[in-house]
Amino acid sequence: MKSLFAIFFMLLSSAIFAKESAEEIFAQLTPSLYQIKLIDKASGEKSSIGSAFQISADGIIATNYHVISSYARHPEKYRIEYLDHLGNTAQVSLVSVDVINDLALVKRQVSKDMPFFSLSDKKPSKGEQLFALGNPHDLGMIVVPGTYNGLKKESFNERIHFTGSINSGMSGGPVVNKLEQVVGINVATSGNQIGFLVPHEKLVNLFDSYLASPPADIKQQMAAQLLANQEKLMNALINSTWQSKELAGNAMFPLIDVPFIRCWGDSNADKTDALILAAVASCSLDENTYISSHFFTGSVEIEFRYMQAKDLSDNKFYHLYQQQISRAGAGNRAGKDDVSEYQCHHDLVMPESTANTSQEINNKSVFCTRAYKDFPQLFDVLYLGASIDKDQQALVSHFTLAGVSQENAMTFTGKFIEAVSWK
Amino acid sequence: MEVTNKIPEPEAFELSAEQVPSTSFTDHNEIIIEEVTRNHKLLHRHRLKQNNVSIGRDYNNDIILTDPHICPQHLSLNYVQGAWQLADNNSVNGTTLESENTKQSLSEQRTVNDGDVIVLGKSQLRILFSDHKVAETVAFSPFESLIDIVRNPIAVFISIALFMLIAANISYLNQQTAINISQIFVSAFSMSLLFALWPAGVALVSHLTKHDPRVLAQLGISFSFFILMWLSDLLEKVISFNSASNSMLGIAITLLPIALAFSLFWLNSYIGFHMPAKRRLFIAFAITSLLFGGSYLLQYSKKPEFNPHPSYNSTIMAPPFLLAPSSNVDEFVEQSNKLFDKASKAAQAD
Repeated sequence: MKSLFAIFFMLLSSAIFAKESAEEIFAQLTPSLYQIKLIDKASGEKSSIGSAFQISADGIIATNYHVISSYARHPEKYRIEYLDHLGNTAQVSLVSVDVINDLALVKRQVSKDMPFFSLSDKKPSKGEQLFALGNPHDLGMIVVPGTYNGLKKESFNERIHFTGSINSGMSGGPVVNKLEQVVGINVATSGNQIGFLVPHEKLVNLFDSYLASPPADIKQQMAAQLLANQEKLMNALINSTWQSKELAGNAMFPLIDVPFIRCWGDSNADKTDALILAAVASCSLDENTYISSHFFTGSVEIEFRYMQAKDLSDNKFYHLYQQQISRAGAGNRAGKDDVSEYQCHHDLVMPESTANTSQEINNKSVFCTRAYKDFPQLFDVLYLGASIDKDQQALVSHFTLAGVSQENAMTFTGKFIEAVSWK
Repeated sequence: MEVTNKIPEPEAFELSAEQVPSTSFTDHNEIIIEEVTRNHKLLHRHRLKQNNVSIGRDYNNDIILTDPHICPQHLSLNYVQGAWQLADNNSVNGTTLESENTKQSLSEQRTVNDGDVIVLGKSQLRILFSDHKVAETVAFSPFESLIDIVRNPIAVFISIALFMLIAANISYLNQQTAINISQIFVSAFSMSLLFALWPAGVALVSHLTKHDPRVLAQLGISFSFFILMWLSDLLEKVISFNSASNSMLGIAITLLPIALAFSLFWLNSYIGFHMPAKRRLFIAFAITSLLFGGSYLLQYSKKPEFNPHPSYNSTIMAPPFLLAPSSNVDEFVEQSNKLFDKASKAAQAD
């Protein structure tokens, strides 16, 4: 009998404990949680909002870079303000950013030491329950419980996979474990309870390097980070194995053997009234770096297209073929303030093939590049190679790289041209 | 008895300078009266060998005019003492000499000289004498033989047929679905009709300005040149396909269509109109500038302030048209490197 009561009360107490811990967390941490607002100076109204949390006694607050990106690019047009749990607002200054991991540090004035979130010193374990905090849709502070599912597979810059309903507006808010230690920062959602977090180690690195030497200029800091990231990415792409694969049994193309580049295939063989049979293989890097709402960088897109004429004259085939290659463009929607116009040149190129074949290919090759206005060593590049040596078949090879250095772009281009051939 | 009448040999004599009469050397009792338009284009020519000429709307005149603003017995021209005199018969609307700017009607008799233009009612009459100097003969230019070939109905037929074939081929190339013969035919036919508007228009203007329209010649020469322009387009495409970015030939070839258009306009005006050579050159030059300058301006005005898309030469043709050698990858990479400097400069520029 006693044992029955004991068991009953233990179960009851553990149930009550589970319910209380969410409330407890909320109550204890709210003083260190903020809403960040970007105020447009001209109109005086807020143009974007997000969540943020304090990580030091002297007023350092962490949030996402994309929450304050407009300020980072146009500091004269905006100011950043916080809204705390008591309804007070005041201006903060931007002190450091990590544009690759979408983090930013802002600083507020403090009159005395304040409570702050402590950052965990180890990773969570798979299946562990975590709590995401934030301010979704300007509705007020909420807690969203969820589960840690480990790092997202096949990503170039690490992200945590979190099953919980993060909403926009919670960007920049902390994700804590049961011990109220920060293990991640809200950054993105895929909808339907699939969310992504920046691992807390990235914030630790950012904070430590800020304490060691604060950056003099945010744009220069961003430029250095973008340059370092593309160096890492391009080295990985250029130096890994390029497998030579077949396309539609008639062409050879390179497949870069890295986990973060994923490839898809398609063809129109099912369309019986098409004049040209086409088979496509396209590969891309699934993530990119947000610089501002219409300006993304760091992306890689590759496409190979094999075409065969079905009952057409040579001239008509090439006439339609030309229409297919005349409209290549950039992946991002960068504008006049972000980049220069494209500079292009073209030539006839016959490469020495590195593909697994004895055949040669003769291409009309086009290369275009444009420079970034705020980050002088970075460029968007575009390449298109169109075969011109077969009467009734065509092989188009194409890639775009966003935000790369000149040297990396040309090394990649040279290797790419030589890896494409007929079978 | 024989009687012979001896007719004395006339003595040869010369007119000394003083003995030459002070009026013109030839007798002017022959008068040529031309009915002309306001621009002095000939409508009808009368040649009369009489000393008195009556002019008016009545049917008993020597020259019968139909202008309702002319009186039935409007005026008379009389050869008196070696000169022609003009006499207005108190006409309602009067008579004036065009060379005299006054609108005043001629109140008394006036001497009429070679080349004078008489204005009566809303009509003009030009007076000429048989010793009127005519302009130099214009020799045939070398183009006459070309035009003779081109205006032959068989040549016209062949050039229009060839043009239709070319239009049909263009329509075939652009069809996105399976071959549709009737569509190709309709397209070729309507293209030819559309292009025929140009020579037809020129011939019409020619006819309206009292020249010989010469429709066949205009059709023949125009369609021949349309075919030549298509050939120059093809040549331009082949060069664009074969050349690398900074080739001189590519720039030079864009002048060919301009030269062809100029030549066509010059020939159109040679066939259809009489005018001094300088004027013809000027007109051909003006129309060519309007055509090419206008389309260039139109393109330029439509360019957006900032173009986020790359603009590159994507011309490709079937392998038989490949004539130039290919570069290797290193050469291509080296040329590409130069672009980065240009892009960086453009980025820093504004």
